[in-house]
Amino acid sequence: MTDIQVQPGHVPTGHALLEVKNLFVEFHTRDGVARVINGVSYHLNPGETLAVLGESGSGKSVTAQAIMGILDMPPAKIPGGEILYKGENLLTMSEEKRRQVRGKEISMIFQDALSALNPVFPVGWQISETLRTRAGMSKKDALARAVELMDLVKIPAAKARIKDYPHQFSGGMRQRVMIAMALAMDPKVLIADEPTTALDVTVQAQIMDLLGDLRRDLNMGMILITHDLGVVADVADRIAVMYAGRIVEHANVHELYKHPAHPYTEGLLDSIPRLDSKGTELATIKGLPPNLLRPPTGCAFHPRCRYAKDVCRTDVPASLNLGNGRTSACHFAKEMLDGTLR
Amino acid sequence: MFRYIVRRLLQMILVFIGTTFIVFTLMFAGGEGDPIQNLAGERPVSAIQRAQLEQQFHFNDPFLTRYWHYLTDLLNLDLGTSLTGRPVWDLITERFPTTLMLASIAILVTIVFGITAGVIAGIRRGGIFDNITLVVTLIIIGIPTVVLAPIGQLLFGIKWPIFPATANNPATWYELLLPGIILGMLSVATAMRLTRASVSENLRADFVRTARSKGIPRRRVIGVHVLRNSLIPIVTFIGVELGSLMGGAIITERIFNITGIGNLLYKSLSLGDAPVVVGTVSVLVVVFLIANLIVDLLYAVLDPRIRYE
Repeated sequence: MTDIQVQPGHVPTGHALLEVKNLFVEFHTRDGVARVINGVSYHLNPGETLAVLGESGSGKSVTAQAIMGILDMPPAKIPGGEILYKGENLLTMSEEKRRQVRGKEISMIFQDALSALNPVFPVGWQISETLRTRAGMSKKDALARAVELMDLVKIPAAKARIKDYPHQFSGGMRQRVMIAMALAMDPKVLIADEPTTALDVTVQAQIMDLLGDLRRDLNMGMILITHDLGVVADVADRIAVMYAGRIVEHANVHELYKHPAHPYTEGLLDSIPRLDSKGTELATIKGLPPNLLRPPTGCAFHPRCRYAKDVCRTDVPASLNLGNGRTSACHFAKEMLDGTLR
Repeated sequence: MFRYIVRRLLQMILVFIGTTFIVFTLMFAGGEGDPIQNLAGERPVSAIQRAQLEQQFHFNDPFLTRYWHYLTDLLNLDLGTSLTGRPVWDLITERFPTTLMLASIAILVTIVFGITAGVIAGIRRGGIFDNITLVVTLIIIGIPTVVLAPIGQLLFGIKWPIFPATANNPATWYELLLPGIILGMLSVATAMRLTRASVSENLRADFVRTARSKGIPRRRVIGVHVLRNSLIPIVTFIGVELGSLMGGAIITERIFNITGIGNLLYKSLSLGDAPVVVGTVSVLVVVFLIANLIVDLLYAVLDPRIRYE
């Protein structure tokens, strides 16, 4: 890992803009109850970037959808927890009040812009829809603002493309349309759910740069959901690593990259391809993420953990506070940090 | 869009030539023997009729020349003369308004009930309304018109005479209401199933999740984002259905004694009136082609991905 920008560590202050507290989400399916989120807590301070990292099925997107209030309930159910935005619990709010928060206070962009945009409406129409229906703007003003937003996300010849449909744009440009749409109401928090996964590598970098710039210029807080460690290093302040519906490690970027305090994080870092490891086999984390309908006993990661001991098979590890806002849900977190774990 | 329309029109010309050729070939596909006798079926053909048919179908010319005569006559709206002595074109145009009225009622019933019920069932999938309509539509789909129409006539035309049991010539809107509803029932069931599937599929689409995350009201999410996308397959179904309803509903028209295209076709078939059968079928082919063209154009209006193909 080279060229990591050291950011001052953020300590939870109790005045976070957005705070997820001990959140539980389960899906009721025909095969039983899948507990996909098991006591997730994280917070986001104004103007900072939190990266939420994890494999598919780790619950990172579900947490985000719970924050947005766009989970399909049923089959989803939230049996416990709080989601505080500016101190108010979103989960107990009336649906009407909650709707006002969506898009205006917290807004979200999705992975695959081609399917996330409506195929039958022009992009200008889609960007300006919120302005027309929620800000009470006239059709003309809203479209003019849509052009401004498209300029803001650096879509060339925005004015000429306003009547084009999503399928007429390239992947990168479509994601920019998506971003412009999310920014329409000047949100304070932007949740980006794998914003670059569906894109080419070069375009990925452009979109990440754009998101970083916009976050700074508009002073938004950003939750960046990704499974790509390479993506987060440059933009994130803090990282929360999720596994099987729990946060297994939480630290600021610099500390996490330097000294992972959870074997899963270590495995993720080891599996990043590097230029200097040419010719050697790429390290992987053995095994598959657990089936959440039948989660393993003890630590959910133990079947794949190279350090697993007896206690890991029986006891669920608590989230250990390692100081400076750093936590790890490993029985041997301290030993990991010391480098004494074998 | 302009290129799409032009291309679609050119395609239609080709399809028109192809379908009329098949229709024309099939008319004389009776196999061996006397082609004129084949046209008339088992009925005896008088010398006068024979001469008339020979003249109309140019039996002394080679096959392709005959087809060419048939095609040009068709384009000139000259469909020959019925064995009863009346021009076939007049017989068709006299009955066409009635069939159009009947089809309109049936389609209206389909749209209003089928789509409304489908949207409700699609939104509350697995709910009581969904389950009840599932059973009802399955029953309706299972009953053939030959059973449904007489029962409807008996119940609502004779036992409780809310509607007239039969129609006069020409039929009025009121007289066509009961047969129209019965005719529409079958497509109501299909339209409902189709709408339900389409709505519930679109409700789970990514773009609906996006629309919800924008904080627009749920009514608008469903009414604009979901419905607009769900309409695409429904419009196709309705258009094709309208096309086939134009061909007249032979059974329903018979039962309610409606003087429409279906009745004309039935009567001329049973009388062995070949010029009427050939003429009517040819016109129906064209009507069906036009209905398909309209559907394709509507399709392009509804789905921009097709327009810019």
